[in-house]
Amino acid sequence: MSLPYIYSMFNQLIKFNSAELHALGLSLKVAFYCTLIAVPLALLVGYLMARKKFRGKAIIESIIHLPLVMPPVTTGYLLLLLLGTKGLLGQWLFSALGIKLAFTFQAAVIASVVVAFPLIVRSVRTAMEMIDPGLEDASRILGAGKFKTFFRITVPLALPGIVSGSILGFARSLGEFGATITFAGNIAGETQTLPLAIYAYMQVPGQEMATLRLVLVSVLISFIAMAGSEWYIKKQLKPKRR
Amino acid sequence: MIKVDFTLQRDIFDVRIKENFHVGITGIYGASGSGKTSLLQSIAGLATPEKGFVKIYDNIVFNSELDINIPVQKRNIGYVFQEGRLFPHMTIEKNLLYGIKRFGSKHLGFDQVVDLLNLRHLLQTKPAMVSGGERQRTALGRALLSAPKILLLDEPFSAVDVQLRSQILPFLLKIHRKVKIPILVVSHDLPDLLKLTDRLCLIQKGRCIGHADYHDLLRSDAALEMFGKNSIMNSITMKVKEIDTDRGITILSNNGEANSVRVKCEKSNQTYKVGEEMKIFISSDDIALSREKLKEVTIQNQLKGVIVETIDRGATTLCIVDVGFQLVVEITAESGKKMFVEPGNTVWCLFKSVAIDVAG
Repeated sequence: MSLPYIYSMFNQLIKFNSAELHALGLSLKVAFYCTLIAVPLALLVGYLMARKKFRGKAIIESIIHLPLVMPPVTTGYLLLLLLGTKGLLGQWLFSALGIKLAFTFQAAVIASVVVAFPLIVRSVRTAMEMIDPGLEDASRILGAGKFKTFFRITVPLALPGIVSGSILGFARSLGEFGATITFAGNIAGETQTLPLAIYAYMQVPGQEMATLRLVLVSVLISFIAMAGSEWYIKKQLKPKRR
Repeated sequence: MIKVDFTLQRDIFDVRIKENFHVGITGIYGASGSGKTSLLQSIAGLATPEKGFVKIYDNIVFNSELDINIPVQKRNIGYVFQEGRLFPHMTIEKNLLYGIKRFGSKHLGFDQVVDLLNLRHLLQTKPAMVSGGERQRTALGRALLSAPKILLLDEPFSAVDVQLRSQILPFLLKIHRKVKIPILVVSHDLPDLLKLTDRLCLIQKGRCIGHADYHDLLRSDAALEMFGKNSIMNSITMKVKEIDTDRGITILSNNGEANSVRVKCEKSNQTYKVGEEMKIFISSDDIALSREKLKEVTIQNQLKGVIVETIDRGATTLCIVDVGFQLVVEITAESGKKMFVEPGNTVWCLFKSVAIDVAG
């Protein structure tokens, strides 16, 4: 391999066309909204799971964690059954409010949320279980209600778990494929995220370079997310000095 | 004033307590697991009794029959936990300010509390970096700043090593003097409690078996049995009459020339002034009895008094001697017989000035 050949290869590797850039941008956007919706929800559910005892807790827990072990295609199909225009809830949404969810950008976000949610909840819950409930008692004796105690004691103390859970969820959303292609489809410019674009390019002969470009970008983003998460956890574990 | 009458079911036995607690310090004494903490938790609302009521001043905070159960955060209680429970992510200052009532505090302001508890140099420090004693002082300050109607302290000394305990006691006494509210202190360490207060509430297997001045409790067999081998601590409040800095001796007296007490105190610790009140502690078994005043001995304190009562404690005898105030003296039963220690007899109580402990 001569030097000019490597140089031209490298040139081709960084030459993104607009469709590819769009897929990248869309992926980041879906992951961003997914994290934005899933994290507050996970704080609430994680808190309930860590602190409260109630009937049917084990069943709710299993349902939440189901997308973690189910084939993503199954998750996507169930979403379609529930929220598709002819689905249980989707039918009503469409006829009563004119909202169509399946095969839209929103559908891609919903699919991501459902798949990433259990990962975030697990992380948040573990972090909250590590907090001494006595500190929450101490807060309440000092006159703080449930909200103040939650936001000033529980959340700040669980922050390392919340942040690493968010990063994990964000990364999982970037990689979402099965549920997205089933529930949101593979519409270029609307629901075609990075993994879907890679899949689409693989089907077309002569697009090897484009595929490689997207694969590399995908690896890079995942690497940054994981390295960031590791760095953050290490930083938190270090004893703080004055 | 706190009024309780409740039953709280526990694994091994029920805690059933019916008592009134008044303004001032009450020591709650009992073995580990006897139900002392359950009592505090029921008052604070951290535990919910099955039956009965809890009344703080005129407010019913709990009543099972009327279905009243005011939530913890609305009971306005200061609670100091055994381990302090400072919020680890906040500085000492933020911890102190957490429950502060800016307008409601009729007792003490932030600066007063910080100075009283000697915390100013720690304000920007995180709890992980401070000592056990400093942690408990912060917890105490944090509770005080929430302007509580009552103060509950659950084993405040047990997480602190013996040397540092003596640093917390004077702070508690200072607070007691400034803030006129009921203060309940739970401990399984009798000498520590007696340094704080004369009034004890004895808890055994979930029941209160005595609640009175400890001099009176000494007459109860059940109480004596609970005190076990613990030596009885005399805590005496006296006025400073004279300070001899050169010899490191402080002379205390109440009224008149007779029965003044000489205390050995290092120059650096002589922070008090003439005329001020001072609290001193002397263990009952550090005091000896003599029928006459001794000459040519190194013992500096010889107080003349009359035996009020003798209490048989098996191998030892407790003598309550009136020397202007009541002094509990513990002697072996054998020497008691030899010396004809009987009520009405005049005796001299002897103790060395170094045997006396001082609280600021």
